[in-house]
Amino acid sequence: MRARASRAAAIMALALTTSVACRTGPPSQPGDPMLDAIRAEERQGDLSYVESQGKHLFLHYCATCHGDEARGDGQNASNLSPPPPDMTASKSILDATLLEKVITQGSAAVGRSPLSPPWGRSLSRQEIDYLVAYCQSLSRKKTQKP
Amino acid sequence: MGVAVEVKTIAPPRLHLVFAGLGLAFLLIFSWVLFHEGTAEWRTTQARFRRLETTVKNPHQLAQSVSVAGLRQIWLPDLGRVDRCGTCHLGIDDPAFTGAPRPFAAHPGTWLSTHPTDRFGCTACHDGQGQATDYANAAHQPQPFVSRPMRPLETIEANCGACHRALDPPDAPRLAEGRRLIIEWGCFSCHDIPGFEGLTFRGPALDSIGYKVRPGWLSVWLGDPKSYLPQSRMGKFRLSPDEIANLQGFLLSQRAQAPLDNTGVDWKKADTANGRALFGELRCVSCHAVNGRGGTMGPELTRIGDKVRRPWLFSYLKDPHRVQPDTPMLRYRLTDDQLRDLTAFLYEEYSSAGAGPEPTPATYQDARLLAAGHAVFERRGCASCHQLAGTKDTGRIGPSLAGIADRDPDELPYGSNIVRHTTDNYIFLKVLLPDTLGQPSSMPTYGFTPADAAKIALALASIRKTDLPASYVLRRPAPVPYRPGGKFGELVTRYRCLSCHSVGGFGGDLSTVPLDRIGSQLQHDYVAKYLLNPGAVRVSVEARMPVFHMLPEEATSIADYFSTVFLDDSIEQYDTNFTAAETRRGEELYGQLGCEACHQLGTKGGYVGPELSASGARLKAGWIAAWLSTPQRYKPDTLQPDYGLSSTDVRALTAYLSSLGRRDAAKARGGDAR
Repeated sequence: MRARASRAAAIMALALTTSVACRTGPPSQPGDPMLDAIRAEERQGDLSYVESQGKHLFLHYCATCHGDEARGDGQNASNLSPPPPDMTASKSILDATLLEKVITQGSAAVGRSPLSPPWGRSLSRQEIDYLVAYCQSLSRKKTQKP
Repeated sequence: MGVAVEVKTIAPPRLHLVFAGLGLAFLLIFSWVLFHEGTAEWRTTQARFRRLETTVKNPHQLAQSVSVAGLRQIWLPDLGRVDRCGTCHLGIDDPAFTGAPRPFAAHPGTWLSTHPTDRFGCTACHDGQGQATDYANAAHQPQPFVSRPMRPLETIEANCGACHRALDPPDAPRLAEGRRLIIEWGCFSCHDIPGFEGLTFRGPALDSIGYKVRPGWLSVWLGDPKSYLPQSRMGKFRLSPDEIANLQGFLLSQRAQAPLDNTGVDWKKADTANGRALFGELRCVSCHAVNGRGGTMGPELTRIGDKVRRPWLFSYLKDPHRVQPDTPMLRYRLTDDQLRDLTAFLYEEYSSAGAGPEPTPATYQDARLLAAGHAVFERRGCASCHQLAGTKDTGRIGPSLAGIADRDPDELPYGSNIVRHTTDNYIFLKVLLPDTLGQPSSMPTYGFTPADAAKIALALASIRKTDLPASYVLRRPAPVPYRPGGKFGELVTRYRCLSCHSVGGFGGDLSTVPLDRIGSQLQHDYVAKYLLNPGAVRVSVEARMPVFHMLPEEATSIADYFSTVFLDDSIEQYDTNFTAAETRRGEELYGQLGCEACHQLGTKGGYVGPELSASGARLKAGWIAAWLSTPQRYKPDTLQPDYGLSSTDVRALTAYLSSLGRRDAAKARGGDAR
């Protein structure tokens, strides 16, 4: 009787210690390769999801003049006078309201040249928010660069 | 007897103690339950919310807001979901909580206006355990035994795809790219993939491959297609040297149709300089890449001389449709001398020095080798992509992917890969490294980048087992095949218009111009002239329309057909009696709106949009007006913004653009012929 009880206790103790060991042991965290692959591509430059959505739109609608990296060096930039600014070095991108106004109503609406057209009627509210978020992320990118 | 004695001695005096103990235990459990319920995570969260609400809202708003107490749930019987997420995410649809700390923050973006919670709940998009009322059990993070924890935002588009079945769903770039890759790589040739029905993917027909390729090239290709062509869409089948030898012999014996006779061709007279000029003029690079640059519709030509035999190439260029009836390549109208020069140019320019002289077609008589090669051909499902008469139709060789997103992740193989067991990770690894999952796999290795493999996996992860109610599903519009008959049909077939252009959504998308309303957009005479010598309307676009060497009467036939059939009645009639004042006002507007940023006029302006120097001789006025009024209606992702122009301004701009490139109009404007 006693032998059986002690054996049961021993098993119980073993089970407990193993479970504790499992909980506190070194975390052998298995990876999420699919997630990592997407992050590696989309979060280059540390973009959030919203910002990376904005980047997709930027590449489609804006990059032809503003350049893939928003440095004002798109393939059409040389045809423009004044040329598009290097957004990564611009203070304007810190001002979300200004950005939104330029994107929605065009650069003429803030007293600049009319060369950057208004997108307010062509893009959805959501898309403009994405674009603003991406443009704002550019300032972060710049400070990170050596 | 002994039992009776025991009962007598033990039971009567201690029974009240047992009841007392039990009663106490029940009391303790009961109070613990009460205490536990009273301090449940969601109650403390709601208390925190009420405190936050008083700081976020003014008294007036507070008076109007609904009091928050108790569990909140959304029951969606159609979707089989009960979501209690709103119990803690209390500010989710209240703009006052924009930017508030989690879990009270309002939902970012405009998603809830297009996907209201009372119709979609939360878990339909986000996954997780909707019925749970605390953070851990709701599976915000991956949990053991929870097969669908909340999706991180990076892969959430997989859930968009469950309802949005269009091949190019809006606001889901990764899903769209994944679906595009599935089409580009023809995954549905070997797998039945719901959502991709009716699409075809074709490798070259192999009926006469014995006349086409060099034996040395073929064995290299079968070993690893990427060693010849890095962009090859054929995967690496990991064949043994014996299998390669057998398959090579079997394929080289396929000689159903001899190439067109070229005995009259004097190769010594071949003028490769003329061939080079033709290569440029025919715009071969719109579809074929050379040294990594150019189109992707056809195979890259950088080392074509190492691959094919010269008589075959001559014959193919003369009539590609004879060899491969479903090829997207058009049949140019070239003379034998031109074909000779072009063949010689391709053959000599695009071959490596070590290609060596062309061996005569070998004859394989070894029946055992042929049978073994045939067996490899059928076993590896070559017929899924390649046509070859006399082989068994193996159909789709791979397993169906219907419901793949709902496979039990713990029953899937992961091989020696140390990964979290999720269906996502399984699909990803299978796409990326099909032979590392610890099971024999017939799937070839495609050499995708991890990012591409992840997007393909994401697109596949939207294929669920149980289908959603029809009212939730936005189906892919099935393209109606467009096959015109008669003379026009012949021309469309010969010049393969639909390889690049589409009609009713059917056809290619290399061109930015669908043909559906082309007759309402372009002037008849312009089309007839343009087809004879197509130039660049969009300066920066690299893929250009080929110079077909079309006969003038063929061009006129096509223009006639366009202007009588491909019309959009809503944009036909437009009063073109413009006044000089309207034209002048249009010119002013052109400058004020900054049109020159994208459009070239003379030598000035950008080259994002088409150049406009001769728009008056090219475009119909009705179309200019319609396009300027609502560009996105005609092309949703166009770079032409909608300026919200008044009809007067639209008319003025139309007047101005209609005057450009027309002598009569230029005179009226005062001789300013730009």
